[in-house]
Amino acid sequence: MMKRQRVISFLQTFLALGAVLAVVIPVFLSDFPWPTSARDYLEAHGVADSGARNLVSAIYLGYRAFDTLGETIVLLVAVSGTIGIIAQSGVSLARGFGEEALDRKTASPRLRHRRTELIDVVTGKLGPIVLIFGLYVMLFGHLSPGGGFQGGVVIASGIVFIALGSKNEDSTRLQEAGMLARIEAAGFLSLILAALSGMVTGSGFFGNPLAGMGASPVSYIVILNAVIGLKVGAGIGFMCVAMMGRVE
Amino acid sequence: MLDRLLLLLLFLIGFWGIIARRNIIKKIFGLTIINSAVVILFILEGSRIGNSTPIMSSGIADVVDPVPQALMLTAIVIGVCITALALAMAFRLYRSAGTFDIDEIRRKIHDEAS
Repeated sequence: MMKRQRVISFLQTFLALGAVLAVVIPVFLSDFPWPTSARDYLEAHGVADSGARNLVSAIYLGYRAFDTLGETIVLLVAVSGTIGIIAQSGVSLARGFGEEALDRKTASPRLRHRRTELIDVVTGKLGPIVLIFGLYVMLFGHLSPGGGFQGGVVIASGIVFIALGSKNEDSTRLQEAGMLARIEAAGFLSLILAALSGMVTGSGFFGNPLAGMGASPVSYIVILNAVIGLKVGAGIGFMCVAMMGRVE
Repeated sequence: MLDRLLLLLLFLIGFWGIIARRNIIKKIFGLTIINSAVVILFILEGSRIGNSTPIMSSGIADVVDPVPQALMLTAIVIGVCITALALAMAFRLYRSAGTFDIDEIRRKIHDEAS
């Protein structure tokens, strides 16, 4: 009986893999040449149109800024969904990092050993440096590899480092779930305001409001990068802090 | 050609992880592997038409296509969202069933229903 079941499930796996292979092989092995027209256009006009030397930033905050707005909304929904699901299950998730485990007398020996001094020292010292590096990646996204999303993720890992490295007594506001949620909401609000501000000066939704005032067009991309970086950093940091069991 | 075949293999490994493994966490790993395979495929194909990074300064010409890079930025962010949501749901299932094994979860649901 058990053997027959195993044979059937093996067959099912095999058939499913074969079916996916039949669909995916033409995609992976197509020798259609990659079109160069978009690259040629961007190479010739990208810097003049948006002011950003990093063409990837020029695309996702200039030509396709509307798409980026949708992306941040997806991220916002995913963060709220994750927090909702975790908070509804009640108890804190990772007991090694929550308050219970720090009560050294009642914690089981296995839990006590999960948190070594090494983690405290290394992550606590590295956290602020990672935060600064995240700010750098975020603010220089128009000149060098990086941008809002990448810098935001680095900032989130800095927040995780700080949350991992601090003992229970010396906590910072950056690892409080409520604070991160407020930063994320403020970031999203200012992203919407930055998108709408172009309409006031007549350059349209996601148009550059500073274009008429003689400012360089790249300033708008820097502003958008900073806002998106704050929002993404706070959102993903919030998610990670919640998964460590610090959400109330 | 070899690089594409390896990416195809990576994709299939991820798919196999989703359908054949019983542990939910390993299924989520499979999702992430599929996502990475597709992202790498796009970046690789977009880079075939140029040689230098798409950061313009004087003397830079013949850059790679920046469009797939910008699109894959979106794909990576969405992948992170999917992973986080899937992990949260796996956590929820673990809280109620006490296991990550889908067969056991199904058996427990069946037991409770009858």
